[in-house]
Amino acid sequence: MLAVEKVSRWFDEKKAGFQHVNLQLTKGEVIGVLGTSGCGKSTFLRVLSGLDEGYEGRIHSKKKNPSIGMMFQEPRLMPWLTVFENVLFGDDGSKKKEASELIDIVGLGGFENHFPKDLSGGMAQRVAIARSLLHNPDLLMLDEPFSALDAFTKLQLQELLLSIWETKPSTSILVTHDIDEALYLCDRILIMRGQPGEVESELVVDKPKPRHRGDRDLADMKEEILKELDFTND
Amino acid sequence: MTIRTNTATLPASKKKKSKKKSLPFTDWWAGLLLPVVLIIIWETASRNGWVASHLLPAPTVVVEEMVTMGREGELWGHIGITLYRVLAGFVIGTAAAAILGVLTGSSKWMEKLLDPTLQALRAIPSLAWVPLFILWIGIGEASKITLVAVGVFFPVYLNLTSGIQGVDRKLIEVGRMYGFSTWKQVRKIVFPAAAPSFLTGIRSGLSLGWMFVVAAELLGTSQGLGYLMVFGQNTSSPELVIGSILLFAVFGKATDEILKRIERKSLQWQDRLDNSV
Repeated sequence: MLAVEKVSRWFDEKKAGFQHVNLQLTKGEVIGVLGTSGCGKSTFLRVLSGLDEGYEGRIHSKKKNPSIGMMFQEPRLMPWLTVFENVLFGDDGSKKKEASELIDIVGLGGFENHFPKDLSGGMAQRVAIARSLLHNPDLLMLDEPFSALDAFTKLQLQELLLSIWETKPSTSILVTHDIDEALYLCDRILIMRGQPGEVESELVVDKPKPRHRGDRDLADMKEEILKELDFTND
Repeated sequence: MTIRTNTATLPASKKKKSKKKSLPFTDWWAGLLLPVVLIIIWETASRNGWVASHLLPAPTVVVEEMVTMGREGELWGHIGITLYRVLAGFVIGTAAAAILGVLTGSSKWMEKLLDPTLQALRAIPSLAWVPLFILWIGIGEASKITLVAVGVFFPVYLNLTSGIQGVDRKLIEVGRMYGFSTWKQVRKIVFPAAAPSFLTGIRSGLSLGWMFVVAAELLGTSQGLGYLMVFGQNTSSPELVIGSILLFAVFGKATDEILKRIERKSLQWQDRLDNSV
């Protein structure tokens, strides 16, 4: 549904950013983009989402102007809006019912009228999930969505994402630096390396979800990825 | 398949609400303690002739004078005209500042065009305008209202522009993700985000407005609380001067309190010390 051909985005005279990325996305698939910091994986997402237009290469999708839902590392809620209004942000008010449902789905029923200042980090990120899903996006982009959360909240929200995908499958791209998270959630993982970053390899995780966190095969894959990223001489 | 629950245990946000025991009485009367003591000392000093009562009349004398003037109806005219000048100047100054602030805050080009001039004008002490205003628009109401408006304008303008410029880029990006037009971006993100600084500006604008109305009324008027002060000075009746000062204090405080309430009401979402439950 989305094809990325030789897309590059450089900064600092081609010393940073990423280059020559090719990617074919099929509908309903969850792609992970894994890499160390500075490999341009977040920039890649910004380019795909249209926030960064200074790229080279071609991006085209089957559908004209696919709708995009985006979740950032921070919740980025409007502090002057309540939870309910935040979920409805960007809507003309026609999706009130969907918004309430989504708030229930992310487990925040009863918090509709709270302001973001009264929410914990995990709760705020739940609101952000609900907001990004309101328009049933063709493409859901997640930019290290859980990296600022504590370990337990992170696990909870990963479960939440899985269960949402089960009922509302949406093509998603998850940028992360957490190998376990990528293995747990994604169907396919791109591993990026270098500066500017390039796709080093691609890994298909052919296991039905939900997966076991302690799964043998996943552990083997993790080993493989770690070898691939090779932290010793970068 | 394992059963997954959607609802995770929500952190109890209520634990924050463990109320600090506020002492219901000491809270408000603690602030009154000092003025009351001072007034009592002042009253006794005046009554017993420790200070010259033709220079510092007793508080009761001041109040009596004001009550008499109020009963005879003379006082209301002075109060009315002063309030009118402050209010009109405040509205005009705030409106002008809001329009220019939005222009310079939302367009880089406008900022380059207008801001340097406005910053330069700000450097002129506002009272320096007085002779010019009087020359241009005479000593009527218009020149006084203009002066108040000038005083109100700058704090509102400066706070608003800095508020608009300080809007979090990350929030703007959320708007861009939704494909907002520039105007929608401004309306749905920039304005609400800049509202706190705008309200701060309005409050300091109002207090400057009160300052400038005194200045305007000290120079050539025949009515108003400022005039009453000059009149009291010329007729050696300090009770008039002190009475006017007190009235200025009362009205200044009251109008500020109104704005403060509006501020608190519309900014409940802010995570501030005086906002916490």
